[in-house]
Amino acid sequence: MIELPVISKEETKRRKPDWLRVKLPIGEEYAKVRRLVDDHKLHTICESGNCPNMGECWGAGTATFMILGNICTRSCTFCAVATGRPTEYDLDEPKRVAEAIKLMGVKHAVITSVNRDELKDRGAEVWYQTVVQTKALSPNTTIETLIPDTKGNWEALYRMIDGGQEVVSHNMETVGRLYRIVRPQAKYERSLEQIKRIREAGKRTKSGIMLGVGETKEEVFKAMDDLAENGLMILTLGQYLQPTKMHLEVAEFIHPDTFAMYKEEGLKRGLKYVESGPLVRSSYHAERHVNVPMS
Amino acid sequence: MNIPNGLLYTKDHEWIKIEGTTATIGITDFAQSELGDIVYIDINTVGKEVAEHAVFGTVEAVKTVSDLFMPVSGKVVEVNKLLDASPEKVNSDPYGEGWMVKVEVKGAPAGLLSADQYKELIGK
Repeated sequence: MIELPVISKEETKRRKPDWLRVKLPIGEEYAKVRRLVDDHKLHTICESGNCPNMGECWGAGTATFMILGNICTRSCTFCAVATGRPTEYDLDEPKRVAEAIKLMGVKHAVITSVNRDELKDRGAEVWYQTVVQTKALSPNTTIETLIPDTKGNWEALYRMIDGGQEVVSHNMETVGRLYRIVRPQAKYERSLEQIKRIREAGKRTKSGIMLGVGETKEEVFKAMDDLAENGLMILTLGQYLQPTKMHLEVAEFIHPDTFAMYKEEGLKRGLKYVESGPLVRSSYHAERHVNVPMS
Repeated sequence: MNIPNGLLYTKDHEWIKIEGTTATIGITDFAQSELGDIVYIDINTVGKEVAEHAVFGTVEAVKTVSDLFMPVSGKVVEVNKLLDASPEKVNSDPYGEGWMVKVEVKGAPAGLLSADQYKELIGK
């Protein structure tokens, strides 16, 4: 019999650094957003992703809606959204999202979705309608859509981004080498191509990478170069945090100074705008990204 | 959402139960559900006088770390040792086995919320 080394509970407990400290949600605005989300039977990535900034954002009266249901056809190891065979396909959802956004009265709305690889159009029609109807009800609200990859269905992609949104995000999530572990059903090159096509279609392009998954600095620089080369304008970099104990473990807590260094490097490498910090998430400060000039 | 009557609450999502001069303090069911799986409770203020609204410890969930705020001024006389080995008790039994500290208080605390007021605050 082989004796396995005994690891004490103390050793397995990885304590989080102080810079990841957040406030629990408080206040009337938070309750208002909570009611709005519940009344309109909507999903938010804030809740589904167990986001650490939820208290701050909801407390400021904003949330990121997640459309096309809350079951995803992908099984990315970092993500807390449930994987499975989606059951919801609700052509009434665009209207409810548009109404909720109007009631929130936000200047800038961020919308995302699960992957719907089982649908021929990847959910593009619901995407399109959501943006169009939101614009119709709130003509002064700018919109960012954080879209999944369409698995190379470019027709679906063009429909998805044609509703008049100001910013189109597609997150790379990690460096090329770690796709196998982090996003097993996605391809690094395909996501780059999608970003290139979004830019060629005349949209503001944005992407995000999670750090602390096990990547090296050189790999992050390489990803930045690849993104700049493929027409990416705005990049967000944040610390990966395990959403539950069942998900991919954090490999490293990246120091705020390192985040600052990455920001400089990104700008040097031709990106127009970089948000970089431990608690930065895709939609963090998203309202600023609308103003990034197209050329 | 379990918000028992008979306890007092704070805007920072702590509950407090006062028996004589001893106050037992923990976090609410709402707080534990927002935090998710709790992995560590760090309280190093035992034996110390802590002022109202001051930080008496931190609670670490899988995803985040949050400060714990004193609902009343007083001396921290006891910490729930069970939570060292079983921090998940805060998730499963926030008002029972998941209590965090006992504090010796002088006089009746002011400005705390009733169960109904707290429910309104969190929109439940």
